[in-house]
Amino acid sequence: MDNLGFLFAANVFVWCGIIYYVYTLKQRNRALEKDLDLLKETLSKEGS
Amino acid sequence: MISSDGAEEKNDEGNTLVWLTGIALLVQMISIFVYVPTERTEGVIQRIMYFHVPCAWLSFFAFFVVFICSILFLWKKEREWDIYAHASAGIGVVFCSLVLITGPIWARPIWGAWWVWDARLTSTLILWLIYVAYLMLRAQSDAGSMRARYAAVLGIVGFLNIPFIHFSVLWWRTFHPQPKVITNEGIGKGMDPSMLATLGLSLCAFTLLYFLLMGERVRQEKIKDEIDKLKRQKFYSS
Repeated sequence: MDNLGFLFAANVFVWCGIIYYVYTLKQRNRALEKDLDLLKETLSKEGS
Repeated sequence: MISSDGAEEKNDEGNTLVWLTGIALLVQMISIFVYVPTERTEGVIQRIMYFHVPCAWLSFFAFFVVFICSILFLWKKEREWDIYAHASAGIGVVFCSLVLITGPIWARPIWGAWWVWDARLTSTLILWLIYVAYLMLRAQSDAGSMRARYAAVLGIVGFLNIPFIHFSVLWWRTFHPQPKVITNEGIGKGMDPSMLATLGLSLCAFTLLYFLLMGERVRQEKIKDEIDKLKRQKFYSS
């Protein structure tokens, strides 16, 4: 059972890596969607 | 343009995939830490295999998608294929990084060293560097430019390293163990059935995760394209 620390470390790296990647991906998509909505709004205002 | 019904349908599909992936990852974790027996020679550390191998599988699969989509992009010159290749390369690099992190953590207690310059490890590091270079190239390229084509060529050439990585443990004497799932005796003959089932479950869970991440990455690239298009429209109209 000596190597439990190594197993734990590997597990933590994998899950933290995946969770961080999913989180940044979601955040970036949300920010981009906001930008897109803002741009559409500006264009429609300019058009009218 | 997607109708509201179509958008709802797509959203439902996305939610189903999220649930399926979540359940598969949860069952995989239970299987790794509760169901599967401890390996006799390596002990508890061998359980890293159930993360390490699926991460490797996912990255190779992602790079295979880059390879196919890059060929299709060069052939058909359609932006759609370029988007898929770019999205898949990012996911591949993330999981290849996890392979290069979990590998040394497994190696340290078994080999007594974090890293050895054997054929499998070195060729995997080269693969990672190739696709990091690909992403760096992409970061500077605009859609439809020559750089997108150069990136596609790099995406194709980079993939040619993967068969070399696979066969490296058979061609040379390496520290890295030989394949256990696909052997000369057949598929899965060198493993305990419960270990094989857990590994299979992990591979399925990570494959679902790939499609989930791919959906988000592709959506991101499409939003970026739409923003660029509207910005150009705004520029020309003013």
